[in-house]
Amino acid sequence: MFSNFLRGPRDTAAWRLSIWTTLAFAVGTALAFLVIYLLVENSVRERTDAWLSGEAEVLSNVAMNTPQDSLYNRIVEEVAELATREIPAENSENGQNQKSIFFAETAERQPPLWIGPEPRKAFLTAIDRAHLTPGMPQSIYVNDFPIPFRVVASGKERGTLVYLGLIDRSAISLLDKLVHRFLEVWAGMVLLGFVISYASAHRTLSRIERIAETVARIGSNDLGSRLPEAGNSDEISRLSRTFNHMLDRIQASVNQVRTVTDSVAHDLKSPVTWIRGRLEATLSDDDDTSWREPVAEAIEGLDQMAELLNTTLDLAEAAGGALHIERALIDMTSLVRQLIDLYQPVFAERQIALETEFHEDVTVDGDVAFLNRVLGNLLDNELNHLPKACHVYITLKQLDEFAELKIEDDGPGFSPDLRQRAFDRFVKGKQSAGHGLGLAFVHAIVRAHGGDVSISDRPGGGAVIVLSLPRGNKDRRS
Amino acid sequence: MTSVRLLVVEDDIAIQRLLIRALKEAGYQVDTADTAAAAEPLIMKGVHDAYIIDLGLPDGDGLELIQRCRTQGSTAPVLILSARRSVNERVRGLEQGGDDYLTKPFALAELLARLRNLLRHAVPIPKESLRLRVGDLQLDLVRREAYRNSQPLRLTPQEFVLLEYLYRNAGRVVTRAMILKNVWQMRIDPATNVVDVHIYRLRNKVDSEGDQPLIHTIRGVGYVLKLP
Repeated sequence: MFSNFLRGPRDTAAWRLSIWTTLAFAVGTALAFLVIYLLVENSVRERTDAWLSGEAEVLSNVAMNTPQDSLYNRIVEEVAELATREIPAENSENGQNQKSIFFAETAERQPPLWIGPEPRKAFLTAIDRAHLTPGMPQSIYVNDFPIPFRVVASGKERGTLVYLGLIDRSAISLLDKLVHRFLEVWAGMVLLGFVISYASAHRTLSRIERIAETVARIGSNDLGSRLPEAGNSDEISRLSRTFNHMLDRIQASVNQVRTVTDSVAHDLKSPVTWIRGRLEATLSDDDDTSWREPVAEAIEGLDQMAELLNTTLDLAEAAGGALHIERALIDMTSLVRQLIDLYQPVFAERQIALETEFHEDVTVDGDVAFLNRVLGNLLDNELNHLPKACHVYITLKQLDEFAELKIEDDGPGFSPDLRQRAFDRFVKGKQSAGHGLGLAFVHAIVRAHGGDVSISDRPGGGAVIVLSLPRGNKDRRS
Repeated sequence: MTSVRLLVVEDDIAIQRLLIRALKEAGYQVDTADTAAAAEPLIMKGVHDAYIIDLGLPDGDGLELIQRCRTQGSTAPVLILSARRSVNERVRGLEQGGDDYLTKPFALAELLARLRNLLRHAVPIPKESLRLRVGDLQLDLVRREAYRNSQPLRLTPQEFVLLEYLYRNAGRVVTRAMILKNVWQMRIDPATNVVDVHIYRLRNKVDSEGDQPLIHTIRGVGYVLKLP
């Protein structure tokens, strides 16, 4: 399994599948993180900005309300100093305070009031360039400082603007940490996801691989093998089951072909043997006048063989769906009547009573030649299987969509085993003299017509064969 | 009959010999060809009254040969022989210029009957008389009645049709398949002695005791109506 796992993984569907899954997973999680990052950044900034705005407001009020005398600068400086100390995080990094916060007050008079890190010139230029709207905090990059300052402008009457700036360190470091952690976790997750998806894809696809191997192993000599079927009903189990059903069908038809071949060979061998023997005996007979009888028998035997071959070929054609049926509107009543007329004397000769009851004008959409043979086969079947003094009842009815021909008899009927397989080729009763092709032919032809044929027991003994054929449409007659 | 000349195109020597013998016995002049290539110039001569052509020739499909000859103006009837039994094959054969189609194995009697039929189409013969006679058996085709020794036979209409068919082929053997096809218009191959029973019944009426029997069974082949 493990060697399999590593063997040329790049050629496998599992590899490609897991690559794509992992890629989709990585992109998806990265997008989700981006959304979270933006939300966090926003809320962190909001806190800083709220403080900045409030302080700036206070400072600008102080600046405004303080009289513009010699004490003005000192008072404002004091208040600003106090304000800058209010940030606890900044206070803890003593000495850094001066660098992380600044206060500037610009007015018409120069130079502006400045409390904060030097060089103030760089700060003032940056502020000037930013064109701040009062009350709207903004990130401003100042030369020499890698971290931007959040700066808010406030107030102003008499041309006085107060700027309060705070280095954005805490937000940036929080967000940096977030990104770092995310990248670590993300890399792990992506790797783990890849491993899991590869493992599961490999596991699933190796079941398909096993199916392919098993199917490849199943040759025509080993049609008995089947794929293992898992208990669940996922796609691959269904695939296995479908394959197994297909194999069942193939095996059945291969077996049938074998049966047919064996039966044809068997049924041909015996006449060949006796014809040969009969002719051989005739040749070695010195009496030159006694050849007629054996030759006639030989011809009859050959005719039987020819008939067997022809019916087998017809059946093969019918089973292969290659039968060319020339459909026409057929007057079934007269077709059946004609056949009954043809067969009536034989029934009489064998002392089997034949009774009929026909609806008039029963029509069928079908091929006359084939339907003649179907009916002939059915009547031959009755003649060959009924003992003397039996009755045969033939009824022909027009139903809504179908014409129904029913042939009932009070003979020995079909054994249950035989009844089930009566329409298979080369299936025949123990006493049957035929080849077991008659009913198979009937079945194939009726099916090719879009009809159906069934065999059942007749209450009180005997058999019932019911043929239904699609009704002919009189309107189609041109 | 003596001047009727046939061409047999068949590559299987055994069947070719059989055909030559049977056809010569029946009074035909017979030429043969083994291949389509050999047959084509013979057909082009236009001296034959009918062709018997096997479909499975070594150098091409017999159907193509027939088609080529038809397009080049040959009009003599063609009887197709084939080992293929499929209905489609038969339809194609007849569509492409064949006039009749016989599948192997076939009874010689049937081959001869089909051939006569084709030649009758091709060569007009004098109109048949409406009263036919074999020995003391007479058929009136207008009244649909039959007489033996001038005594009317009580035949059903079906029996009359059967007798008429035997009659028209008097002296020639007809097979059961031919009877079924021509009397009942059915191409069936019964596994029972259906035809025989009809013949027995007819025979009982036609050849009553004391008369010379006219309907004879040729075992293994069929029946013939003839004077003994």
